[in-house]
Amino acid sequence: MIPRWRSIACTTLLMAVAMGTAGRIAARPAPRRESSSTSKQVTYNRDIAPILFSSCASCHRPGEAAPFSLLTYSDAKRHALQIAEVTRSRTMPPWLPERQAAKFADEIRLTEAEIEGIESWVRQGAVEGDAADLPPPPQFVEGWRLGEPDLILKAEKPFVLPAEGTDVYWNFIFRVPIEQTRWVKGVEIRPGDKRYVHHANILVDRAGASRRREAEPGAGFGGMEIRIESQVFDPDSHLWFWKPGTIPYVEPEGMALRLDKGTDLILNTHMQPSGKPEIIQPSIGLYFTPEPATKIPMLLQMENDLKLDIPAGTKDFLVADDFTLPVDVDVMALYPHAHYLGKDLQAYATLPDGTKQMLVHIPHWNLNWQAVYRYAKPMPLPKGTMVSLRYVYDNSTENPLNPNHPPARVIGGNRSSDEMCHLWLQVLPVNYDPAEGDPRMALQEALSRHNIEKNPGDFEAHYNLAAMLQAKDRLAEAIREYEAAVRLRPEDAVANNALGAAMVAAGQPGRAVAYLQAALKGNADYFDAHYNLGIALAQQTDFEHASRQFRLALKSQPDDAGVEANLGAVLAEMGRFDEAKSHLERALQIDPDQGLAKENLEALQKQMNHR
Amino acid sequence: MDWRRPGLRSLLPLAAMLAVSSTLGFGQSALDLDGHATNPLTADSSKVTVLVFLRSDCPVSSRYAPAIKKIANQYAVSARFWLVYPDKSETPQTIHKYLADYGYNLPALRDPEHVLVKQGRVQITPEVAVFDSKGRLVYDGRIDDWYVTLGQARPAPTTHELEDAIHAAAAGKPAPKSEVRGVGCYISDLE
Repeated sequence: MIPRWRSIACTTLLMAVAMGTAGRIAARPAPRRESSSTSKQVTYNRDIAPILFSSCASCHRPGEAAPFSLLTYSDAKRHALQIAEVTRSRTMPPWLPERQAAKFADEIRLTEAEIEGIESWVRQGAVEGDAADLPPPPQFVEGWRLGEPDLILKAEKPFVLPAEGTDVYWNFIFRVPIEQTRWVKGVEIRPGDKRYVHHANILVDRAGASRRREAEPGAGFGGMEIRIESQVFDPDSHLWFWKPGTIPYVEPEGMALRLDKGTDLILNTHMQPSGKPEIIQPSIGLYFTPEPATKIPMLLQMENDLKLDIPAGTKDFLVADDFTLPVDVDVMALYPHAHYLGKDLQAYATLPDGTKQMLVHIPHWNLNWQAVYRYAKPMPLPKGTMVSLRYVYDNSTENPLNPNHPPARVIGGNRSSDEMCHLWLQVLPVNYDPAEGDPRMALQEALSRHNIEKNPGDFEAHYNLAAMLQAKDRLAEAIREYEAAVRLRPEDAVANNALGAAMVAAGQPGRAVAYLQAALKGNADYFDAHYNLGIALAQQTDFEHASRQFRLALKSQPDDAGVEANLGAVLAEMGRFDEAKSHLERALQIDPDQGLAKENLEALQKQMNHR
Repeated sequence: MDWRRPGLRSLLPLAAMLAVSSTLGFGQSALDLDGHATNPLTADSSKVTVLVFLRSDCPVSSRYAPAIKKIANQYAVSARFWLVYPDKSETPQTIHKYLADYGYNLPALRDPEHVLVKQGRVQITPEVAVFDSKGRLVYDGRIDDWYVTLGQARPAPTTHELEDAIHAAAAGKPAPKSEVRGVGCYISDLE
């Protein structure tokens, strides 16, 4: 049994940027000749409509996130003062990163000339102008943007957003009803009510771990940052993300997300009360491709939460991290993340030749407009490049978003009143020799070692490093790292199970038993631990107890061919041939290719015939 | 970091200029939802009058609904609250629906000619104008400091200008007239 891979990821492990430009078709007006156009007559039809159509209407239209439409002269005139103010302050269109050399795929940013044009228009009395100048209205695809999805899933139960209070973070679980593995090429997230959901992103739960957090099936569960374990090293870093204005996009050639039977998709949402109760019931549309993925990106999760211990009243608290890439990568997208104290978030790369390349700079961080930023063209970073993050936090009274009034000490953590210092990069390893193994593992191993160096108490880093070493069959080292993880969290079921599994793999079933039992303490329905304990006991010829463990495993996953095969095997060892036969047959019913069951059934048949 | 509202200062003169441009015509008045001319300042001379200016398409003023209801309830003995919808496009139907949606139990007025807007000297939704029992304007401005900019709200307000003004008006004292403008949506003067 492969040990459980534990991912470090929180909410955004699996999001995809989907803010395309497909819906924005109107051309932008040519830059104004004069910098100040106060003397020139500015009209809606000629000067303002093109700006509103291309940069505002994708959200400011019926059914979208914005509170009012901006599709006609009358719409614009009614909101003219507002438009002038929010464009001048660059509150709208919402786009946090500074202008930089590396362009993002979906930048929405007005030029200075456009902002001045709007101001002049308002000052001159919001004149309509010549109807002949009005560009054609923007065209938007109605309904599902990528056409009818192959599979539409709706949250089983709606969430009732209370009328008042602070921001709400809620997770919906979508149980994907597929019988065979499918490859997902695109996703459209319909967040329920676009006016109240600030952002939403999809995480993939391959182990059903999130279901345990629901009070009742389908109810969903609260939490801003969630952790999901996955079974094998399979970072699955497709960034499916929704924020207002997002247009779903199709994954680049060669990329697709593998979706297996039993996989859950978790939609992590951030909502804001509206003044009245709102019913939020999201749905997602999935688009499949018959082509399995050939390019598999990875999510490189840089963080330095340990350094987040911000004294009350501190205004400019800097947290830094620098990580050197062990392989060549193309950066596809990135996701900077902090909570309410975050002020100035910056990430840059220093190439081996010393060139500095800005990755992203957000001078006025605002959690409400957080997003995944996808590059217009993948950014190549060669091996040896140092990726640096520099985040500044404001824990003083001058930060109005400070969750504490008066300010209090704040440390790193998952609650919205805690802080975070994360930069996640979606990278695709390039220029590597497949004979040297999966380059994503080299990346993960280097990152884990980097994190352990910063913080020897980093549980996830020890755990992930162990999993990498185990995958390379370096079992003794893997066991050492798992042991470090278990020392840090002696009651962590997943780590205990993984340590036990590694010991079984290393031929030390006797040492494994205690850890596997620890994994089951308080988790009586932990399938993997029962399975692994069954194997460990069977290897020590304690077939009676082994069979008991396999039966317990079947209780939580009745249709697992592997357990049935093993149960059949130990029953055969115990001489209970009829029972053994029925379990081996059941294993083959579930999975006709179950090798162990096939082999044992043949052997058993012979044995029974012989008798 | 500049947490204030960049750009606002340059626009205020603009708003003021536009406000002057439409003059108050004789005989104009606010209307109740049946279309009858209504002057909230003569309705009950024994109480403080609070005008709360809202736009149904303004998410900020909508988000204030629970707070407004709470304050109106708390001061029901000493103050009479009116919801005022100054945008011309608001119809009695949309306002009725809005009141039901947000659970308001307060009288509502349309103010398409901006009679009350001018008397209350307001520019933004949500803002409030507080008059003493003699009908004198005691305070106009924001409800509290919950919103800092559009899209940036504190976890909870730390000042309470509306309540302070009601206390002052009820006691016959001048309000601590800080006159901080609200954060929200402009009351348009361009139509």
